[in-house]
Amino acid sequence: MRSLFCFSGFKFVRFQRGFIVLGDFEYKRIRSIDEGCHCLAEAAGKAAVLAGGTDLLVEIRNHLKSPKVLIDCKNVDALKQVHVDRSGSAIGASVPLNRLIENRAFHTTYPALATALLSIGTYQLRSRATLAGNICNASPAADSAPVLLVLDASVEVVGIRGPRSIPIRDFFVGVKKTVLTPDEIVVSIQIPQRADLHTTFLKQQRIRGHDLAVVNMAGAYSPGERILRLAIGSCAPTPVLLEPIKVDVGNVASFAGHVAEIVLSSVSPISDVRASSGYRNAILPVLVKRILHNLLAEGGAS
Amino acid sequence: MHTIRFTVNGHVEQATVPATMTLLDLLRDRLALTGTKEGCGIGECGACTVLLNGNPITSCLMLAVEADGSDIETIEGEAIGGELSVLQQAFIDEGATQCGFCTPGMIMSARGLLNRIPDPSHEEIIEAIAGNLCRCTGYEAIISAIQLAAARLSQDIGSRDAQEGRAR
Ligand SMILES: Cc1cc2nc3c(=O)[nH]c(=O)nc-3n(C[C@H](O)[C@H](O)[C@H](O)COP(=O)(O)OP(=O)(O)OC[C@H]3O[C@@H](n4cnc5c(N)ncnc54)[C@H](O)[C@@H]3O)c2cc1C
Ligand code: FES
Ligand code: FES
Repeated sequence: MRSLFCFSGFKFVRFQRGFIVLGDFEYKRIRSIDEGCHCLAEAAGKAAVLAGGTDLLVEIRNHLKSPKVLIDCKNVDALKQVHVDRSGSAIGASVPLNRLIENRAFHTTYPALATALLSIGTYQLRSRATLAGNICNASPAADSAPVLLVLDASVEVVGIRGPRSIPIRDFFVGVKKTVLTPDEIVVSIQIPQRADLHTTFLKQQRIRGHDLAVVNMAGAYSPGERILRLAIGSCAPTPVLLEPIKVDVGNVASFAGHVAEIVLSSVSPISDVRASSGYRNAILPVLVKRILHNLLAEGGAS
Repeated sequence: MHTIRFTVNGHVEQATVPATMTLLDLLRDRLALTGTKEGCGIGECGACTVLLNGNPITSCLMLAVEADGSDIETIEGEAIGGELSVLQQAFIDEGATQCGFCTPGMIMSARGLLNRIPDPSHEEIIEAIAGNLCRCTGYEAIISAIQLAAARLSQDIGSRDAQEGRAR
């Protein structure tokens, strides 16, 4: 009965519309990383890796990208693994965010990262979206990026010339641009485990509910070394990691002022649909104050 | 063209689809399961929510070919033989539906929530339906309906939903 509907005039129109809306591409489900790298190399820049599709399919629909082949790597076993342990963690590139958020060990080991991931989109979106997709998409507002930067994560990649490990601080090169070559696939994100660090993530949004960040910020504080690391998103073409800051707090308010000055001189916010540059410049010192309050109170600095 | 096999509401289906077709279009246009709605087509509104292997997803952001080998549940799988599910009945009893456009997606998000957490807190309900926009109800009645369904399911372990293994 149902198949009869496929050939009605109405369905034909919808079918055509389907083509127009979602561009014109082939789909390949790869079984190994090597196969994927070869497909990507063959397509010479005209292919895209498909993870959760929550960025890619929207961009194709909005005619911002028009890849000729989508390489679906979700069925490659190596990309589905999550290892969280004391020496550090490896998050497979096709692991959906909800699987991380609902993983207790992950949550307790990386609370700030879990908070950042939970702030991404909606439950439905996080059933599909991945950490690898979030960084490979290279939006200046990517919520995982500031936390991965302060945690000193690295991106494990395989290309036709073999594997390489890219420190996350070298990964982003511009709006929607990374250092990946067209044949490279991200296999996992490695995150060192530093039990001594106090970490926090803040996201300033226009609304309570799901929205991209107006500004996002992550901090990691080592009470032993008295070193603070800060990263800021949505205020420059890429997420920005500051040089480590020596924490010397006689007076928290004046220290916060000092850090805010460093932050403001390291970013270059623009005005866009979410906020004006003026608003971003005004909210940055506020977020710095909140982050220091969270970290230094927790970290026992006085 | 790709030939895929998957189950929808427990029925095995086979379809030959172009790479560019979304799961939403497959459900609505090929399988005539028009209970699942398209609001925005870009993951913002939740009207197209279905369960993929038990988890809520937005079917407008998934390709039909990606559904190969998976288990899909839609709003059409809620009522069985004309008998409403506990969730559907609770939506009616609480007046949680007005125009009804968001309701199929809401119910599938709620179904996914009750699969994970049979006795969700107010906060957990809000988080679970944060991706489902409703222009009419103001959400409170929807939250009450989900609480009512959870309570009925936990009291009435002999209910049809429980027998179907839905209240897990
Ligand atoms: C409604 C909505 C709300 C959103 N809200 C947020 C938000 O609050 N915060 C936020 O940060 N983002 C948000 N996003 C953006 C998006 O959901 C995230 O960036 C998500 O993490 C992308 O992951 P994905 O697996 O869906 O990536 P995909 O869309 O599959 O891929 C994204 C990009 O990465 C590339 N890629 C993916 N995997 C690999 C790999 N293994 N190797 C090489 N390249 C790869 C793809 O080719 C593509 O260019 C939102 C999107 C939508 C539609
Ligand atoms: S139609 Fe899919 S989220 Fe709006
Ligand atoms: S009842 Fe109308 S959109 Fe929810």
